[in-house]
This record gives sequence, structure tokens and C-alpha cells, in this order.
Amino acid sequence: MGKKLKKNRPRFLTLWQIKLPVMGVVSILHRISGLFVFLVMPLLLYLLELSLRSPAGYQQVTALMTSWPFRVGGWLLLALFAHHLFAGIRVLLIDMEWGSALASARRSAWLVMVAVVVVLVAGTLL
Amino acid sequence: MATMLFDIYRYDPEQGGKPFMQRFELDNIDPGMMLRDALIRIKAEQDETLTFRHSCGEGVCGSDAININGTNGLGCITPLSELKQPVKVRPVPGMPVIRDLVVDMQQFYHHYREVKPYLIRHEPEQEVEFLQSPEERDKLDGLYECILCGCCTTACPSFWWNPDKFRGPAALLQAWRFLADSRDQNTAERLEELEGPYKLFRCHTIMNCANVCPKGLNPTKAIGLIKQLMLKRQI
Repeated sequence: MGKKLKKNRPRFLTLWQIKLPVMGVVSILHRISGLFVFLVMPLLLYLLELSLRSPAGYQQVTALMTSWPFRVGGWLLLALFAHHLFAGIRVLLIDMEWGSALASARRSAWLVMVAVVVVLVAGTLL
Repeated sequence: MATMLFDIYRYDPEQGGKPFMQRFELDNIDPGMMLRDALIRIKAEQDETLTFRHSCGEGVCGSDAININGTNGLGCITPLSELKQPVKVRPVPGMPVIRDLVVDMQQFYHHYREVKPYLIRHEPEQEVEFLQSPEERDKLDGLYECILCGCCTTACPSFWWNPDKFRGPAALLQAWRFLADSRDQNTAERLEELEGPYKLFRCHTIMNCANVCPKGLNPTKAIGLIKQLMLKRQI
């Protein structure tokens, strides 16, 4: 009886009803961005290889890169890559006890978000 | 502020069925009233079946850890004046619910016991006090104050996904409390116990734990110091 009751007990774990602090958001985005950057790597390597194969291949890749779906994809990838890089550096610094206090960890999490926006704006302008 | 609305998580194992949120309206809210006071009044005046844990009423015993508007905290030191209405009160996340706001903390205590939260000496017990310098004693500040309410562990996504394997922030804070104690002689065994991919290393420095700790402690920092000590001893 006791075991059966225990097994049927509900748990409150409705993620959208649990408030995530900015550090939590940065952490989850760090994992998601890492996964996407990893998955897209073979495609990028293929495009690099194609562009180096011949002048025709280079032209083909250039044409592809200037098409709007690729531009949007590239923009998104830049955001994910920048986020993964900055969030990763942040975690390394916290591991070295730089900014491991709550207030500074919160500040550095916001800094990661702002840095991604700055990179995106710079990437759009350049 | 005369009247306040509360949406409270209800679950009765004897009735069966799914948990649901029940709306309560409470009037005559005094300034300075805490959430625990409101729950006590709802229970006394409106529904005596409402079940929740509480004891000291001043943030010392750690009994009334609950999820308040999405964030873990202690009902007894959360002023109603700071809360957005309707105040959504739920049990702490990820733990099996026994009834309403009362959760089964067995898993939490299991991890606490596993870190052996007491001094271990290998030398024969001496018959006088173990002396500590003020500097050695200072190392325990920010660690010994933990009241084991479970706010941190139940706010940790790593614990949500691996409650049986990851020790969780509260137990790891205690692990460091005894590793940092100059009187303890069990460092090697304590570190060895925490080896492996789960018990300690599931911490991904998310810092939800430090964000919700009602005592202002920082388990993430303690976990980082355990990792550093492991590294130093391996070099």
C-alpha cells in the first residue's frame, strides 16, 4: 500500500510555472546553443570544403551564402555561437572563483546576453 | 491592502485525481503579514483540510519551503506586501507530493546522510577540545548556517533530472562544510565518495540554488571549491 501510494504521488514540475533567474536562462541557452552549433558543424565543414575545391565551387557557396534563408540561418548561427562562447567563458571564470558570488553571477549573465546582442548588431552592420 | 487572492496547489491522495489550484480570498490583511500567516488563517477560517508544514515562523527551522509565484522560498519570511496577486503557492518542484504543499523529503535526506555531515577523526579521540584558529573557524562561515529547508536542491534543474544520483546543492554545501573544517580528517574518503559523473559533477553552475537560498548561502561556490580541492589533490 505504502509503495503504491508512493509511486502514484504527483510532482510539481511544470517548467513554465517555475521562474528561472537570468543565470538559469543563460545556462539553458548555453546547452541549446552548444547542441545546435555541434549539429550544424558538418554542414559548415562541407561548405568550406566545397568552396576550397574549385573556383566554381567557391562561386556556388558564395551564391548560396547570399540567399536570404542562409543569411537568416547565418545570423541565427552567429547568435548561438556567440552565446555559447561567452556563456562558456563565464562558466570557466566562475569555476576559477571569478564572479562566483550571486550578484556578480547575475551581472555576468546579463553581460553575456548584452554581448550577444552587440555581436549580432556588429555582424549585421559589417 | 485589505484583501488578497491566493491560488493554492491542492492534492488529496485519498480522493485520488489530479492536483488542482484552488482560489482563496483573504481579507483583513495586516501590513507586515507573512505568507505563512495567510496560510494559517486560510486553514483556520476557510478550509481546515489545507495541509502545509511549518514550525518556528522565523526562518530558522526550514519547515515551510514552498514555491511562491514560481520561486522557492520560506513562507514564514516572505512578506505578503512583496507578492504579486493572485499569489500562486505550490509545493517545491520535483519532489513527490504527499498532500497539498507537503512533499516527501526522503531523497533529500538520503543525499544529506550520504555526505556524512559530521566530523570524522582517524586519530584517537583527544580528551580536550579541538582547537581552531579564528582563520580556520572563518572558513565555516556561509556553510554552517544551512537550515536544510531544501529550497536550493528543489530549484536545481540538475536535481530535477537526476534526483537519485546527483547529491544536490544542500548536501554538497554540507560536504564542503566538513571538507573545509580543520578538525575533520576524512578528506580523502569524502572526495572519493563524490567522484564520478553524477554525485558532484552534475552541477552545471546554473546558480538557481544561490538565487533562492533564504539564508543567502552559495552552494555553487562550495561545489566549485570541492572541485578545486579534488584537482589540487590530483596534481
